[in-house]
Amino acid sequence: MIKSLSMILMCLSLAVPAFALDGHEMLKKVDRNLNPESYEMYRKLINIEPDGSKKEFVMYSVKKGKDKIASVFLSPASEKGRSTLRIGENMWLYIPNVGKPIRITSLQSVTGGVFNNSDIMRVDYSAEYNCEKVEPTDDGHILYLKAKTNTVAYDRVKMWVYGKILLPDRLECFASSGMLIKTIYFKTVKDFGGGVVRPAVIETDSPLYKDYKSIIMFAKVKAKDLPDEVFSLNYMPKVESLR
Amino acid sequence: MFFTRFSQFYCCDRKKYALFLLWWLLVCPAISLHGHAGAEEQTSDTLNLDFEIPEVEKKPYEFKAELEISETVKGLDEDSLLFHQKYPNGADDGTLYQTDLNLKVEGSYRVNIVKLYAGLKGNLYYNKAEGWENDRRTEEAYVSLQPGPSIALDVGKKVLKWGKGYAWNPVAFFSRPKYIEDPDATLEGYYVATGDLIKSMGGQLKTIALTPVILPVSKHVNDEWSTEREIVWGSKIYFFTFDTDLDVMFLLGEEVYDRFGFDFSKNLSPNFEVHGEAAVVLDYVKYIADQGGNLIEEKDDVLNFLFGMRYLTKSDTTFIFEYYGNGQGYTKDEMTDYFTLIEDGYQEYISSGSMAKLATSRKYGSQVYNKQTVMRDYFYLKVTQKEPLDILYFTPSMACIYNINDKSASITPQITYTPITNLELDLKATFLLGKDYTEYGQKLNDYKIYASVKYYF
Repeated sequence: MIKSLSMILMCLSLAVPAFALDGHEMLKKVDRNLNPESYEMYRKLINIEPDGSKKEFVMYSVKKGKDKIASVFLSPASEKGRSTLRIGENMWLYIPNVGKPIRITSLQSVTGGVFNNSDIMRVDYSAEYNCEKVEPTDDGHILYLKAKTNTVAYDRVKMWVYGKILLPDRLECFASSGMLIKTIYFKTVKDFGGGVVRPAVIETDSPLYKDYKSIIMFAKVKAKDLPDEVFSLNYMPKVESLR
Repeated sequence: MFFTRFSQFYCCDRKKYALFLLWWLLVCPAISLHGHAGAEEQTSDTLNLDFEIPEVEKKPYEFKAELEISETVKGLDEDSLLFHQKYPNGADDGTLYQTDLNLKVEGSYRVNIVKLYAGLKGNLYYNKAEGWENDRRTEEAYVSLQPGPSIALDVGKKVLKWGKGYAWNPVAFFSRPKYIEDPDATLEGYYVATGDLIKSMGGQLKTIALTPVILPVSKHVNDEWSTEREIVWGSKIYFFTFDTDLDVMFLLGEEVYDRFGFDFSKNLSPNFEVHGEAAVVLDYVKYIADQGGNLIEEKDDVLNFLFGMRYLTKSDTTFIFEYYGNGQGYTKDEMTDYFTLIEDGYQEYISSGSMAKLATSRKYGSQVYNKQTVMRDYFYLKVTQKEPLDILYFTPSMACIYNINDKSASITPQITYTPITNLELDLKATFLLGKDYTEYGQKLNDYKIYASVKYYF
C-alpha cells in the first residue's frame, strides 16, 4: 500500500514540472514562430478612433535575443527620427529635438492609442512570462501565462495558440486585479520568406478605450545578424543607419 | 501686482486680446473638424492592408521641416526694478506683442559610412519697437563617419546634451543652457570633434561607452568660450549596469573652468524613475555687485547638483519633480544688493538725470544677473495629464519653478493639441509671482501668453 502510494506521489511530482516544461517549451516555440531570434522588420501602426479617423506611424525595428529591441520612426514627419530602445524592462525614448534619451515606462505609449510601449517594443513572451497551465482546445491550446516580475506590463495573459506549428490567435491581457486590460488578435498569416511564416496583422481593442482600435501591420520581417552595441543609448540616434 | 496689470491690460487692449484668443480658439475646432471629415468605420478587415509600406524604401537623402507661426503677448510690470532698469522713462505701451514665423529645415545625405547632416533655423518676427526683423542660424552641421555599430566619429557643429535632468543639466558641459520655460526646445551646437566607442558585454555591466570631445576655441570658432585660442577637451563614459544608467564626465581647458561630474537614472518601478546629476566646477570666479556698483570677485570650487523623479499614475498623469542646487548662484543678500543698485540708479536718474549707476546695473544684468535661475536653490514641478475627459490628442500641463531662496515663482499652464497628423497647437501662459526684491517679482513682465501652430512636413 505504502509502495503504491509512493509510486503515485512520485509520478505526480514528476508530472507537474513535466507539464509546466511543456507549456514553457510551447511558449518558446510561439516566440520563435513569431520571429527569428535576431531580425529586422518594418511596421505600420494605425490608431483608429471611434469616429473612424486614424493616425498612422511607420517604424523600422531590430531585435536581438530574448529581450533587446530598438526602433526608429520613419513617418509621420512629426515623429521622424524618434527612436526607442528596450533592454529587458528598461525602456528609453530618443527625440531628436530633445537630443538625449529619456527613460519611459511600459505603461505609456509613444504613439498613443491602445498599444502601449510594452506592445510596441515587444520582446519574447518567454522572457517576461512563465506558463503556469496549458489547456487543450478544439484546434489548439490555451496557455495561461503569469508575469515573472511585477515590472511586466500585464500580470497575466491568456494566449490562444492553434495548429501544429503553434501560432498565436488571440491574447487576453489582465492586470493584477484580474481586470481585462486589452485583447490582441493575430490575423492574416503570411510567408515573409526565409522560413518566417507569421500573422502579418495584429489588432487590439480594450474595454478601457471603448470603440478605439489599434492595428500593427508587419512587412519585410527577416533574420539579421546584429551586434549587441546596436542596443545601447549611444546608438539610439543612429538606428536608422541599420536599414 | 499681476492681477492689477492683467486688468489694466484687459481693459486697455481687450480687443487685441480677444482677437488673439479668438484666432487660436477658432483654429482648434476648425482643424479638428477637418481631421474628422470623411471618417468612416475602419478595422483591419476594411482597411487596405498594403504590405508594400512606401516608407520602407530607403533613400540616401532625408529631409524634414517644421513651420511654426506664433503670437506672444507680454504684460510689462511697470513697478518692477527690471522695468525701471530697461525703461527708466516708462514704456509707450504696457503690453508687448510679437508675431513670429519660424522655419526649421533638417537634411542629411548618406554615402556608405559617411553621413552629412545640417539643421538650419530661420525666424521672421514683427513687433512694434523693431518692426519686421529676421534671424537665422545653423543649429547643427556635421560630417559623421560610422564604420561600424561600435564606433562613430562626428566633426562639425553639433549639439551634445549630457545629463538626466529635465529642467536643468549641471553636467551638460558642452551645451548652451536650456531655456527653462521650454526645456525641450532645440539648442544651437558648438563646433566639435566627437565620437562614440561602444562595447556591450554579458554580466551585470551590460554596456560601456566612451564619448570623447575636442572643442577648438579661436576668434572665429566657439568664441563664446574664451578670448584666447585654445583646445578644450573632455569626455563622458557611460555605464549600463544593474538596470541603471550611469555617466562620469569631465571638461578641461586653459582659460575655461575645469569641470568633473556624474549623473544617473534608474526606474525603481515601471512608473517611477529617479535621476540625479552633480558637477564640481574648479576655481569658479563669481562676480558679485555691491550696492555701490563695485564688482567683487570670489574664487572657489563650486558644486552644482540636481535630484529628480518622474512618476506616472494609473490615470496617465505624469509628475516631474526636480530640486536644483546652483553652487554658482547668488544668495538672497547678493541679489538684494543688485536690486538695490538698480533702485538707487533709477532714483538717481529721476532726481539728477544721471544714468551712471543704472548703466552699471544694466551691464551686470546683461552679463549675469538678469539671466534665468541665477540664485541658489530651486524646485521644478511639471504635472501633465494625457487626454483628460477622453479628449484625444489633447494634453494639458502645469509647470512651476519655485525659487526657494526668495520664495518667488513662475507658473505656466499649457495645453497642447495635435488634432491631425503633423499639426500641433500650443497655448501657454506664464505668470510671475513674487514680492519686492525677489527674482520673479522683479522681472520685466509679470505675465506672458504664447500661442502657436506648428506644422511638420
